Amino acid sequence: MNPTLNPLLRRYRAPAGYLLLAVLAYLLPYQLGSYDMHVLDTAFVFGILAIGLGIVMGIAGQINLAQITLMGVGAYTTAVLTTQENYGFWVAAILAVLASGLVGLIIGVPALRVQSHYLGIVTLGLSLAFTDWVTTSTLAGSGSGISGIPVPPLGGIDLSDDYLYYYLELVVFVLSLAFGLFVVRTRLGRRMRAMRDDPLAAGSGGARIPVLRMTAFLLAGLYGGVAGVLYAGLIRFVAPETFSTADMFLLLAMVVIGGRQSLWGCVIGALALSVVQDELTDLSTYAQLGYGIVVVITAVVAPTGLAGLPGRIRPLIRRQREQPALAPFQPYPATAAARETATGRELLRLDAVTMRFKGLTALREVSLSVGAGEIRGIVGPNGSGKTTLFNVISGLYQASQGTVSFADRHVHNLRPYRLSDLGLSRTFQNLRLFRELTVREHVMVGLDRTRPGWAWRYAIWPVGVWRAERRLGAQADELLDRYGLAGFAKATPYALPYGIQRRVELARAMAGEPRLLLLDEPAAGLNATEKAQLVEIVRSIRDHGTTVIIIEHDMGLVMSLCGKVTVLAAGQVIAEGAPADVAANPSVIEAYLGRAAAPRQTDAAEPAPSKTKEPTV
Amino acid sequence: MQVFLQTIVGGLNLGAVYALVALGFALVYRTMGLVNFAHADVLMIGAYIAATFTVSQHLPFAVAVLASIVITGVIGLFIERFLRPLEGRDFDLMLIGTIGFGIVLESVATLIWGATGEAVPSPVQTRPLVVFGASVPTYDLVVMGVAVVAMLALSLFLERTRRGVAMQAVAMDYDAAKAVGINVGRSNAIAFAIGAGLAALAGALVGPELYVSPTMGGSIGIDGFAAAILGGFGSIPGAVVGALAVGLLNSFSADYFQGYADLATFVLFAVIVMIKPTGLFGEKTVLRA
Amino acid sequence: MIVRPARCIALAGSAVLVLGVLAGCSKPGSSNTASTGSSTGPIKIAVVDAQSGQDSSLGQWEYDGAKLAVSQWNAKGGIDGRQIQLTVFDDKADPTTGTDIASKLASEGFVAMIGTAESGVTAAMEPTLEAAKIPNITSGQSPALTKSGDPYVFLNGPTSVTYDSTLAAYLTGTLHDTKIAMITNNGAYGAGEQSSFLAQLTADGLKPTSNQVVTTTQTDFSSALTAIKQSNPQVVFIGSEEVEAGLIVKQARSLGITVPFAGGAPQGTPVFIDTAGTANVEGTIVSSPYLSNDTSAASKAFAAAYQGAYGSAAELHGAKAYDGTEILLTALKTSGLATGLKLADAIRATQYDGLLGDFRYDKTGVGIFKTSIGIVKNGSLVAVG
Repeated sequence: MNPTLNPLLRRYRAPAGYLLLAVLAYLLPYQLGSYDMHVLDTAFVFGILAIGLGIVMGIAGQINLAQITLMGVGAYTTAVLTTQENYGFWVAAILAVLASGLVGLIIGVPALRVQSHYLGIVTLGLSLAFTDWVTTSTLAGSGSGISGIPVPPLGGIDLSDDYLYYYLELVVFVLSLAFGLFVVRTRLGRRMRAMRDDPLAAGSGGARIPVLRMTAFLLAGLYGGVAGVLYAGLIRFVAPETFSTADMFLLLAMVVIGGRQSLWGCVIGALALSVVQDELTDLSTYAQLGYGIVVVITAVVAPTGLAGLPGRIRPLIRRQREQPALAPFQPYPATAAARETATGRELLRLDAVTMRFKGLTALREVSLSVGAGEIRGIVGPNGSGKTTLFNVISGLYQASQGTVSFADRHVHNLRPYRLSDLGLSRTFQNLRLFRELTVREHVMVGLDRTRPGWAWRYAIWPVGVWRAERRLGAQADELLDRYGLAGFAKATPYALPYGIQRRVELARAMAGEPRLLLLDEPAAGLNATEKAQLVEIVRSIRDHGTTVIIIEHDMGLVMSLCGKVTVLAAGQVIAEGAPADVAANPSVIEAYLGRAAAPRQTDAAEPAPSKTKEPTV
Repeated sequence: MQVFLQTIVGGLNLGAVYALVALGFALVYRTMGLVNFAHADVLMIGAYIAATFTVSQHLPFAVAVLASIVITGVIGLFIERFLRPLEGRDFDLMLIGTIGFGIVLESVATLIWGATGEAVPSPVQTRPLVVFGASVPTYDLVVMGVAVVAMLALSLFLERTRRGVAMQAVAMDYDAAKAVGINVGRSNAIAFAIGAGLAALAGALVGPELYVSPTMGGSIGIDGFAAAILGGFGSIPGAVVGALAVGLLNSFSADYFQGYADLATFVLFAVIVMIKPTGLFGEKTVLRA
Repeated sequence: MIVRPARCIALAGSAVLVLGVLAGCSKPGSSNTASTGSSTGPIKIAVVDAQSGQDSSLGQWEYDGAKLAVSQWNAKGGIDGRQIQLTVFDDKADPTTGTDIASKLASEGFVAMIGTAESGVTAAMEPTLEAAKIPNITSGQSPALTKSGDPYVFLNGPTSVTYDSTLAAYLTGTLHDTKIAMITNNGAYGAGEQSSFLAQLTADGLKPTSNQVVTTTQTDFSSALTAIKQSNPQVVFIGSEEVEAGLIVKQARSLGITVPFAGGAPQGTPVFIDTAGTANVEGTIVSSPYLSNDTSAASKAFAAAYQGAYGSAAELHGAKAYDGTEILLTALKTSGLATGLKLADAIRATQYDGLLGDFRYDKTGVGIFKTSIGIVKNGSLVAVG
């Protein structure tokens, strides 16, 4: 599309699209028979439920096979409160949504300990536990369910009419979707997506992984509750069979076919599949067969679902555009604060740190002191424990013995996000970027320093969230300019050349303006020009006030950059001092090359430690 | 006391069936990294084939079981072809892809055998043994015996045969195995076929204890999967121990909680998994939060 | 492009408001009210039952029974020269699907409905069917169905209270059993059986020796059955569907329980007998309104026609649906193809001597108030005395 063609059209295209959708949604009932109307009403309930599943599974990456149960909690709470406790419908509805949110949190608790298929079977089990409870408990009407749920009263509008109920649902649905999209596109959702793509990197960047997981389950619960209330008001009957495993799998299919990672996709999948499912009630076995086949084919051929199709087709039809070049780095202005910190006060101190894994000692009594304003090099042969050292410093590992202090504070048992808050930041040896986030979003994740309590704003003052978001965006654009990445703002990182990916990770790490930056082999895979740029960037970072520790194999780079070098071999510090002195140290030469050989040849990446197990967050 | 003993016997018998199911899950997962939610539906197909041979063709039960294992194993080879793109993919896709395949199998079974299902007469008609006042049906002993033999045979196969060792190698390091000339595709196909054969064995054996119908896989599959998780997903001895644990958990919660048995079972299960996320025999590779 | 959701939503919202004001006077759906009972073309009757999933065998029997009645009427020329058209819908035993189908029946001009076999699904469909004035004859037997005051719901058999009171009277009165154990499941059917049978026992001044509840998905009943065995009963009441009841009896025998079992309709079915094994169910006492195909001339004729049409033996559920359909068609004929409340009143007024007994409907929609006692002998149900 030609961007210069019609700016007016571009500006109003989206609002016009929404307006058109609204008109269509308003006029739709006039075209439908009462049966189709009822089917559509049911479909909307599933649409809202699917938004909840989309958030918890597609956005936050948490498997939740109890989503249908959360709807069950909402519907059952409404039913019990209205029919047995004589609450009014809307009072019961509010309590029901809260109850679902609470149950969402309970179901989410296992996510703090397990993930993936472990989480899948636990949540599935909890959903069966709920089914068993409502089947047996007389409070929940036993196996025969609860009938006689009152029609929701609404100022004289007869909501027992499926046509009028549709408009109620439409309003709730639009609000739910808008809120969902708002969450996903602002910082809470951005952190969730970052966590989904790489929990380790997200945690090291300051995201509270446990809190984020629980927030995702809370949202799933609230959406389940809203869907449940609407279900109760529409069907006015609840029974255990309604919230069965088969329905859960149907919901899952809706979300996967529609596209998990896009809420629009989830919603479209839910609406489409409910309608199709109902149209096919007369040929059920074949419909079932076809549904199974469609699900398998989607999973195999189109893993991103319907919502992912435009993104997959676009590159095929659009001509390859010229790749923009990496712009030069614009150095930070040297600050007064930076000069002050460059006085050499001790910033990081390790005392006799030992790190043991089952029978293997990776670090043995390592002591280290790094002063503010330094650029410290850490070198050593493959498998000497350099990355393990970084993992201990950044909180991914907890040292078996010894202490770590950062800025005069014992940080021995602090989680990575706490260290991040204190001003520690790092990059990773094997690049840990967020697969589905744009470059701009990477920087925004790095810039986002808000605490979990901040998220209450979403419920109480969304306008504040929106304003903060715009400020964050402006800061991100500034940072992208500084790192020369503005041309790639909308690209996802893994499609970019390797050197740019390295630059993105560096920009993300620097976004929070840390006091100490740990760089794990930042020059690996870079060409000579890029290495020269790296040296310039690291110097500017230091001059800006950030202390840098760098693991690097390229001795030339270490020599030119570092004021002081620490040499590790077999988990122990064997030498420390100015680069030239260290390079001449006989024990260093021996450690690197065995006995007697020339001191170069160690540019290769470090394959051995990369095979070790992933650290835990 | 008698109730207690009888509950144990019942639990162990359930456990033996779950063990066969869990072994299939574990084998397929450890060799090809696939969490196969269609496993229980493969079991259902195996049960139907065995039932057809015994009830309609009047073959001896043992022959029917063997035939079912072979036929289902061959079907497994075809299924693996379909599911191959899902191997090693992210869990959401495996989950929904294999569930979808399970639905396909269920509908195919409904089209072939009808939705009504079939009762399979018990192949062993002798009186139950009585041990300390608890009666142990002889057929239960057969099932337990077969489960133990299957586990031993599978362990021997994986540890002692060339093919088995090759499979383990693929599981440990895909690229390295490929580099030393192991045919990874074939190795995975055989692993899946063995998994399908195990499912068929389980299905054929539970046929006479339960009722064979297209939807029979549901709860057996969930319990078998829970067993594999409890033992440490991918571990062969873990699958058996986990299965016995889940069997006993089921029968004791039925004893103490009656109608609330499932509620108790699954809440306890969730608590156990949270306390011991890697299972009883699990490796430390699980990416913890 | 950065979309600004806030602005878009505001725009969309105000657009809806404006349109609402513009079109405020006419509401959608009022123009296309269901055209029930057009006076030409075939008479549309729906069968709604599970055609897939676990309850599909029930659904198949029901559909076959209803289809048989309709084809016999059509062969005789239909009603007032119009043919009867029977359409089957699959409710998957799922209440939500049931409500969708109810709306479909309302919008497509069905005059009446046969089904469902699940009380829960019928309960979910009731409000919609009542609003659309569609009489429905269900195979459900939950007493809850009779308490709604809905004039459009009819049962094609007795309620579970009738099944269980007849059974309890036989056990305590005729056999003089005083030690009765109970095992029921926690599902809709089992829970209903448990409460009504327990009520009968209590009324007779008895307490069950053991009262065990199992879940619907359970497959091992060791602990419950051992507890029952230790309570040393003379008979065990069983309240569960065909397959699970069969497994319970099978395991009970292997645990050395030798006393007979007693139960309702499911315990007379071939699925129950096959699952448990013929030898194991010998002597099972069954309370059922339709014991066998040989009890009367009518049942023999029905069984022969059923065998001819489907190649399989008729049983209770087919007979119930057949009776229900006969009653509906008779009422359609006597009322001159009335619809709505008139048709419902005609059904209520129909006195019909059918396979299950003599139907005389009361206000609550129940037409049969007694069952017979049968005993399983050599794999089939035989009437007592």
